[in-house]
Amino acid sequence: MQEFTVKFTPQNKLVRVPKGTDLLSAAIKAGIVLAASCGGVGLCGKCRIVVEKGTFKSEASPLVGEEDRKNGIVLACETIVEGDLEVRIPKESLGLHEKISGATEEFTKGVVLEKEKSIKYLPLVRKIYVELTAPTADNSTSDLERIYDALAEKIDHVHISTKVASLKHLDELLRDSDYKVTAVIAYNDDSVEILTIEPGDTSKANFGFAFDIGTTTVAGQLIDLNTKNILGTRIAFNKQASYGSDVITRIIYASEPEGLKKLNEAVMENINDIIGDLTDACKINLSDVYGLVMAGNMTMMHLLLKIDPSNIRKSPYVPTSVVFQNINAAELGVETNPKGTVAFAPGVTTYIGGDIVSGVLACGLAESDEMSLLADIGTNGEIVLGTKDWMIGAAASAGPAFEGSGLSHGMKAVRGAIEKVRISKSLDVEIGTIGNDAPKGICGSGYIDLLCQMLKAGVIGKDGRINRDIKSKRVRKSDVNYEFVVSFKSESAIGRDIVIQEDDIENLKRSKAAIYSAIIALLNKVEKNINEVNKIYIAGGFGNYLNIENSIFIGLLPDLKRDVYEFIGNSSLAGARMSLISHEAFEKMSTIYKNITYMDLSSEPNYMDEYVAALFFPHTDLGRFPSARS
Amino acid sequence: MPVEFVKEKYNGAINTIEIGNGAKCVKIGGETTLPFLFEEGAMPNQPVIALEVLDTESPDQAIACGGRLLCVRLASIHPDNGNRPADEVIASLGLIFKKCGLPLIIVGCGDAEKDNEVLPKVSQAFKGENFLFGIATQNNYKTLAATCLADGHSIVAESPIDINIAKQLNILITDMGFDPARIVMHPTTTSLGYGMEYVYSIMERGRLAAFLGDKMLSMPFVLFVGQEVWKTKEAKDSIAQGVNWEIATAVSMLQAGGDLIIMRDPAAAKSVMKYIEMVMKK
Repeated sequence: MQEFTVKFTPQNKLVRVPKGTDLLSAAIKAGIVLAASCGGVGLCGKCRIVVEKGTFKSEASPLVGEEDRKNGIVLACETIVEGDLEVRIPKESLGLHEKISGATEEFTKGVVLEKEKSIKYLPLVRKIYVELTAPTADNSTSDLERIYDALAEKIDHVHISTKVASLKHLDELLRDSDYKVTAVIAYNDDSVEILTIEPGDTSKANFGFAFDIGTTTVAGQLIDLNTKNILGTRIAFNKQASYGSDVITRIIYASEPEGLKKLNEAVMENINDIIGDLTDACKINLSDVYGLVMAGNMTMMHLLLKIDPSNIRKSPYVPTSVVFQNINAAELGVETNPKGTVAFAPGVTTYIGGDIVSGVLACGLAESDEMSLLADIGTNGEIVLGTKDWMIGAAASAGPAFEGSGLSHGMKAVRGAIEKVRISKSLDVEIGTIGNDAPKGICGSGYIDLLCQMLKAGVIGKDGRINRDIKSKRVRKSDVNYEFVVSFKSESAIGRDIVIQEDDIENLKRSKAAIYSAIIALLNKVEKNINEVNKIYIAGGFGNYLNIENSIFIGLLPDLKRDVYEFIGNSSLAGARMSLISHEAFEKMSTIYKNITYMDLSSEPNYMDEYVAALFFPHTDLGRFPSARS
Repeated sequence: MPVEFVKEKYNGAINTIEIGNGAKCVKIGGETTLPFLFEEGAMPNQPVIALEVLDTESPDQAIACGGRLLCVRLASIHPDNGNRPADEVIASLGLIFKKCGLPLIIVGCGDAEKDNEVLPKVSQAFKGENFLFGIATQNNYKTLAATCLADGHSIVAESPIDINIAKQLNILITDMGFDPARIVMHPTTTSLGYGMEYVYSIMERGRLAAFLGDKMLSMPFVLFVGQEVWKTKEAKDSIAQGVNWEIATAVSMLQAGGDLIIMRDPAAAKSVMKYIEMVMKK
């Protein structure tokens, strides 16, 4: 097979590929991950590139506007290599590895922090410095027992175990370090295990990572396990996205030859990038990182552990396991201290994973006497309702719209994302972006504001349709449908107008309807009224900001007193962090996952009806949204 | 021991809609009970049967049938069926109106673009006559609603056998300033043997919601029975069978809560009118 060289700029990466390879695959091979939410089948129009030099064949995509086409923009997935090429990748097509600056604040405010203050400090990994007495003829206790005895004075755990592998050079180590050593111990189920013995006193340097492995994003936090301080947070798009944006496409991909391996490698790369990046930034030695806690949905956990996920997709949708034992860091492939340990948040079913159990832990729902509700608005909208005595959960297929995926100018809540919008009567648009950068796209909270403001300004009707009668340069018909310009090319950072199209509105409308109707369906199931809910926690990747008022106005959330609501950001990550700091918190998850009853919305006779009724702004039953009327 | 029948009492009522002016004005709706349950509430207006003719057909037979309304379908304006321009259609309608003297129900050809072009002109030509125009759908209601609003006509709002969409469309039309008491709902008609029970249950749910006070579902129902029945293979097989099929469907729709039934066959229509007289006798 004839091979050609493709050069990608500005990364300046070269790759040799056979003739006929598409450029999306070539980019992946070169280690460049392009945005491709459709999985590279020409449907999302995100992998836009420019071929500067060389022979290629490309399908003219209707998703690339005429002007862009003239400027040489093509879709990577639709472009075939026919000779040596030089390809330029515009910034917006990358969309990966983006970081939220100052993100630590986002995760430490509000209820989660309150909750964290009260948890018992008992980290997954502890480093305990011990000074042993040297063995003598009178005291012939073994080296290991000597360590156990010393530890027994410092910790109240009786069952301590050590793998044989850790004993191999223990004798030497003890003698070389003059019997002054640090035992690195970790919880593993009910026992405590010695992971390793380090010479001297290293107890000052004890770090861990909490991870939320989402379908769309991977978030990680570096924690000082001695002080409980968050040293930094990083968020990246899940690199598996190049193989498809949703779990179904990925599960299908996993069954292809090498598919599971590639998906696993993609997410491991995410994790290791975050670990490397944060330890670098905080000048922390990787070998001082021993403890990790991961929370994620069921598919993500399967892919992370290289367990075939194919039955998750097939009726009756049963995962291989919902609980995973701790494993060794090296075995998983995380680049921390290879002797480190990784713990996983347990899940409930295929549709309610460890991320939700972790979220329930973080918001304290499972400890409250009063009824509260957690809504995690991610790629799926998972809802858990209950008290300390009972919990019921459901997952609504909301789609990733509020994560900024699948929309013409959607993006994650990262720098340059429009997160606040105001539209005046004369249709002047005032926007606020994350980091006050020039706008690159719109994130979930931006879309909520935008819909609300478009409704108020009469740009769209209650059905979400753009008012064709408006005479404004912001309202126009594009190649495919009507659109509203949020930010003109002259102000945007992407060299194109940032717009919201009628299809996007339809998409968002479906998402919000799925979440709202799932909340109502759960309440109906337990015969409770929405007014009886004491507290509603909203979690999700909305960044720093979610306007509850506007969320109610568009009918995403029920019209309740505003103080019922609490926006808690990424609750999955918060729960993982709490479990890392407190074994007691981790243990609580074992009770939580067993106490959540799963309710299948698709078998609820009234759910569909509720859903269609919610496909309106704010709702077909306007009486449920009195405050949207005024 | 005498048995006490359980009686439902509702607070809500269906809107009363007037079609036409003066002595010929026809009222529909106004019920405070499910169909014909006079023990529980009132049906101040009899359900109405209207014969349907095409704009190119002679209306004589339909007029002779004795209906109080006449429905004219502008089939000939369809681009694939003559593509007649508005002025020709207005002239035909003028003749029909003169001949029958009945208030008209005017229904477009179903091609959204052509309907949006012709119906406003027709509406304007009959300004003030208080006719009933159709059909507004979720995807195409603005033009028709705006013109009916300007010219003082009522409107048919159609939804695809879905109570929520029916309500959404009513809200959208009322949001334009349209009087809810000038909207007639078309919940989608079907024919006997073609899923009628589903339409029935949707209508019943709508009615119950209206009686419980849902103003956005308190509109009378119109059903295009003739149009559906004469599409079926049973009707195509034999005319006599088709007539009976139309009667059976129309009667069922009346029992479901139909206020205005549009029929095609004069003999069938007469039978159903007789049926209405009979059941309305308390």
